[in-house]
Amino acid sequence: MKTLKGMLAGAAMALGLAGGALAQGQDYPNGTVTLVVPYSPSGNTDIFGRHLATALQERWGQPVVVENKPGGGSMVGTAYVSQQAPDAQTILLTTSAYATAPAVYKDLPFDPATDLKPIGIVGYTAYILVVNADTGITTMEQFIEKAKGSDMFAATAGLGTTTHFGMEKFLSDAGLDLEVVHYKGGGDAMVSILSKEADIYDTSVATAGDQIKAGKLNALAVMDDRRVTALPDVPTTAEVGLPDVQVRQWIGMFVPKDTPDELVEWLNSEVNEVVTSENFAKIVEPIDINIETSSIPEVKERLAREMEKWVRLAEERGISQPQ
Amino acid sequence: MDFFGNLAMGLDVALSAQNIFYCFLGALLGTLVGVIPGVGVLTAISMLFPLTFTLGPTTALIMLGGIWYGTTYGGSTASILLNIPGTPANAVTCLDGYPMAQQGRGGIALFMTTVASFFGASVGVILLMFFTPIIASYALNFGSAEYFALMLMGLVAASTISEGSAIKGLAMVALGICFGLVGMDTQSATGRFTFGSLGLLDGVSLIALAMGIFGVAEVIMSVRRIDRSAIDPETVKLKAIKPTRDDVRRSWFPLIRGASMGSFFGTLPGTGPSIAAFLSYAVEKRIAKEPERFGKGAIEGIMAPEAANNAADQTAFIPTLSLGVPGSATMALMLGALMIHGIAPGPTLISSQPQLFWGLIMSFWVGNVILLILNIPLIGIWVRMLMIPYHILFPSVLLFICIGAYSTTFNALTVWQVFFFGAVGYGMRIFGFPGAPMLLGFVLGPLMEEHFRRAMVLSRGSFTTFIERPVSGTIMAITLAILIWGVWTTIKQNKRRARMAREA
Repeated sequence: MKTLKGMLAGAAMALGLAGGALAQGQDYPNGTVTLVVPYSPSGNTDIFGRHLATALQERWGQPVVVENKPGGGSMVGTAYVSQQAPDAQTILLTTSAYATAPAVYKDLPFDPATDLKPIGIVGYTAYILVVNADTGITTMEQFIEKAKGSDMFAATAGLGTTTHFGMEKFLSDAGLDLEVVHYKGGGDAMVSILSKEADIYDTSVATAGDQIKAGKLNALAVMDDRRVTALPDVPTTAEVGLPDVQVRQWIGMFVPKDTPDELVEWLNSEVNEVVTSENFAKIVEPIDINIETSSIPEVKERLAREMEKWVRLAEERGISQPQ
Repeated sequence: MDFFGNLAMGLDVALSAQNIFYCFLGALLGTLVGVIPGVGVLTAISMLFPLTFTLGPTTALIMLGGIWYGTTYGGSTASILLNIPGTPANAVTCLDGYPMAQQGRGGIALFMTTVASFFGASVGVILLMFFTPIIASYALNFGSAEYFALMLMGLVAASTISEGSAIKGLAMVALGICFGLVGMDTQSATGRFTFGSLGLLDGVSLIALAMGIFGVAEVIMSVRRIDRSAIDPETVKLKAIKPTRDDVRRSWFPLIRGASMGSFFGTLPGTGPSIAAFLSYAVEKRIAKEPERFGKGAIEGIMAPEAANNAADQTAFIPTLSLGVPGSATMALMLGALMIHGIAPGPTLISSQPQLFWGLIMSFWVGNVILLILNIPLIGIWVRMLMIPYHILFPSVLLFICIGAYSTTFNALTVWQVFFFGAVGYGMRIFGFPGAPMLLGFVLGPLMEEHFRRAMVLSRGSFTTFIERPVSGTIMAITLAILIWGVWTTIKQNKRRARMAREA
């Protein structure tokens, strides 16, 4: 109860302060705000979106609802938002697929670099590289040694997914020439590692955590710049000599390109405050999302870098087909 | 903890007031959702998903589980009474269920399918109780080559689903496979037959196809039958739903076979109740002494698929709970419900969360018993539904089909697909093409292709992988046997017919 009161007090204060920023006659939000999640219900992003919607609704005093628009690796929902009115009543809540999917889906009805503006990146999930424990491989060194020149297989959760691009980056940097096998979704890919059909996979801690605990899988490295608290003994990729192999499944928010910059800035500060509140971090911890905050220029630069990186990787590794 | 101790603990959890309430709620909602054609279990669970935020994980799963297996109980109702499947898994039940209703045996059909569903579910739950870890580990033996072999076997075995001209049936399977091609290729990023539409990149929607071909087409066809005196309300009074001795005698083996097939397919992630139901129908027709009876109201034709799809429902929890691998989109939702509460399904689930696991299993028993008791008196109510005048009933059915289709993707394109397939289905009816083979081709085709190509990648281009791997090789051998037997029986039948024609 105390934290709730505290949160409300903080929100009231923030609103008071923010009121100043909006004094130029913008009255936002003006009615129901729709958070578009371009995935089916119950995925991590969807759950995060619902929690965020509830928190924003409390803060703004206006209804904030989640609408699911799945399809095309998140591109259907993204395309939908890019065509909405630039009044920020419709906001896109999507994942790093925003940066990876365009490298694979060539005929998009919008331009991801220019048709949408980022509000900010609010969270991320760290990925780890796992192998089957039966192989006896416990370190990255051992794996690379065994894998060089072998005919092992690397699994992904699908063409154009974050796991796919992460795996390609890893293989490219580690100098391995493993065959990449695509499965339909994380579930199937996990089965492939457990059944030893494929030899290595990159996935989130939440998905693999229990299998690691049960001793069925070994985690070789964390594809991030810091270790994960759930697996304190697993080194980062930098620690095993692959500092560029960093793949985070991040969650970001976007609005159509003509939305006024001041509104976008204001949304950025609002969202940052909501996700950093103590309560919120606790709520999203079970779904394996780490909170982060960002400023708009930071995000723009990062997005540009990522999109370019993935397009280059796609061309180098021959992922995207010429249309 | 010993086995019976676990059961007792589970029963304790399942019979708590809150859990019984939510189990009942889930089962009731599930039945309702199943009866209404078009509105599917995925929709219902998605809509109720936010509710699980506030319920504890066990209770949440109990409710969601109740909805999940409740739908296949209710799904047979619309199939039998209206010739419109309640869910795609019940499409085969239309083939013999509706003729039974037309013969005045609708009440019996409804009663027997409820019993079949309960039987299938019980077998599934028993497997869940005793064999979860073992089954989970054997399921891991099924790689891409094995899945392909299974799908191929299914296609060969089920090529007799249609009655009438075999050529027409095969043509429809081929057409179904073609529709299954639409979408993005899984191994290369090429869009096939998407006509530049983002929405089609994920393929044609199964609900749209099934509801269009079976549901919308049926609605259009029945315009000619506005005076619906087909089902006599007298036939569904409680005393009239008692099956004949002959019915019961004929049902035993189909029940057992259906439940076994269903349990098997349920444990394999990626296959599910629909495939199980189709294949068990096909198997029954194959091994029946009088296959001509099928399609005209054979009781085996409804008992086997209904037992199969309920068994598959229950055993689908095995890979979900013990491996953390969801076998279908709906199972993924269940997993999501667990993950919200910070519970990671996997090998340690059974030992670290015994109350959840055993409580859930015992609640399946409770739920299935509730459904058994619930569905029998409900039979009368469903049949009253038929008394609703045509001009109110069928537009409502259309409405629900559209709502159901839309709610799977929240994209109007799916609804357009329903109408497209409705037109296709109507054309098929006029020219006498069967719909079930198309559904089969549509479901199995893409799966076969995906697994075949992946198996080839994994074997580096060697075709012999399907025969070299032991499990896959065995399945291929069985497929060959089925193929040879099928050809032989057809030759025998043709000879017999020729002989009878000569003697006549």
